[in-house]
Amino acid sequence: MSSSGIRASVSSEPSLAETGLVGGVFQIALRDIATLFRTPWIIISRSLAFVIQLFVFATLISKLVVLPSFFQYYAIGSVVGTIASISFIIGYDIFEEAEEGVLDYLLTLPVTRRQFIIGRALGGAVRAMIYIIPMFAIVAVLERFANPLTLAAAILDLFLLAFGITGLSITVAVSVRSANRFDVVLALLELAVSRASTALYPIAFMPSYVAAIAPFSPVSLAADSARAALTSVSLDITGLAGLIAFVVVFLGLGAAFYFRKLEGGVYA
Amino acid sequence: MSRTSSLRLVPLIVERDIRILFSDTFLVGIMFTNFAIDLFVTAVTFGNLIPPTTGIPSYFLYIAPGSNFITAAVAAFQSGRDVWREKYIKDLTSYLLSLPAPRPVLAASRIAGGVARSLIATFPGTLVISYLYGVLFDPRVFAAYLIVGLFSLGIVGLSITIAAFASSIEVFVTIRSGVQLYLSFLSTLFYTVETFRLQAPALVPFVSSNPMTWAVEAFRELRVAHDILPPIAVLVAPSLAFAALGMASYLWYSRL
Repeated sequence: MSSSGIRASVSSEPSLAETGLVGGVFQIALRDIATLFRTPWIIISRSLAFVIQLFVFATLISKLVVLPSFFQYYAIGSVVGTIASISFIIGYDIFEEAEEGVLDYLLTLPVTRRQFIIGRALGGAVRAMIYIIPMFAIVAVLERFANPLTLAAAILDLFLLAFGITGLSITVAVSVRSANRFDVVLALLELAVSRASTALYPIAFMPSYVAAIAPFSPVSLAADSARAALTSVSLDITGLAGLIAFVVVFLGLGAAFYFRKLEGGVYA
Repeated sequence: MSRTSSLRLVPLIVERDIRILFSDTFLVGIMFTNFAIDLFVTAVTFGNLIPPTTGIPSYFLYIAPGSNFITAAVAAFQSGRDVWREKYIKDLTSYLLSLPAPRPVLAASRIAGGVARSLIATFPGTLVISYLYGVLFDPRVFAAYLIVGLFSLGIVGLSITIAAFASSIEVFVTIRSGVQLYLSFLSTLFYTVETFRLQAPALVPFVSSNPMTWAVEAFRELRVAHDILPPIAVLVAPSLAFAALGMASYLWYSRL
């Protein structure tokens, strides 16, 4: 998904070095946001998947399940699952850039390595948020979530999840060398963190071998915390703390791995 | 070239497609892992969530074949992806047309190769579902593979048709996602036709004409039916029609 079309927008910023740490990070993040919107096919297919899951699957299945408010449960979970899925895309971008030689160009930009790495992670998270907001709005309207504080708390959960998944995706992108393997590892990871989580179904109904690990999935932490905010108007401190820990660990790992690869690894 | 000798090339072309599948055994393993997650995580959980009072005695068994057909669809769509890559990425079309096989034989062999790959990818899954359905040690296990094969035949034909007309890999992937959504959510994979009739009657024609509906219903019949030919027969005509469409598209697409 990397695009040479982005070059113009970044290279036409002569003041990049002068804008300081925040400016450099902002420019790199902006490039990643532009990259996502330059490839509308991904947005179309994932939006279609969300709409069908919500309006067909969730509507019909909620008439069958034993839980009285399963549609609401599933609707919030599908937003969380979708943002996790979108956040993984940054890994594909980074892998392709290395393969196509765009990374060499990016490294010549007048930004420090630290700005570059933080900018990539931030860009991945922010674009996932931009993408998910209309879906979140649909769910909020359908379920009549109108309290600004609880909406803000849920958005914070989504952002933390997006930020952490971006770090995880970057870690995988710079750790796996084969393109085919990278594709399947990321797809499997995406499936595992979403399915073995409380995003789409409650832990009480999971088989014991999944119920044992599901509480530790970052998708579970975000889904439970967002549900607590939206439906119980309460703050899930444990969930938030878990999400922050996830962000710190994987952003740190992603940054460390990426930095190592840039400075003498396979991409050097 | 005589008709007999050109037909001898069919297994070689099929073998080539199978070798491409196994060029990365990791991919085959991942397909089975996806199936296992679908079945032993999602299907088991929904099985616990949906009680028999809904009219479905065991929801887990109801949706179990769907996990395998989703894997079959993924493997079958890989054929279209390969055909697209051969033309636009690997530049192999000219080489393939230079093989001593008439073009209709080449096209039919590619489709047969896709079906063989799909059957291989779903082989363990079909065994697992056959075991769950109690037909593993019964001649009906062959019918189970026949149903998966016929379903794959249709999807391979469809995927090659999409590959023939897709101008970029993004277009191919997007159409594939759309078709997979249609196969999964607008079929009787998760819910009965009756559920659609009651909740969304406008969708019933789409559900009734969905190849996934025909395939899962045929598979479900294996548990109870003694005469398994009628449910399988439903799949034959549409699968052959999609395969013919795929063949025609491949011939059109590979013209020089």
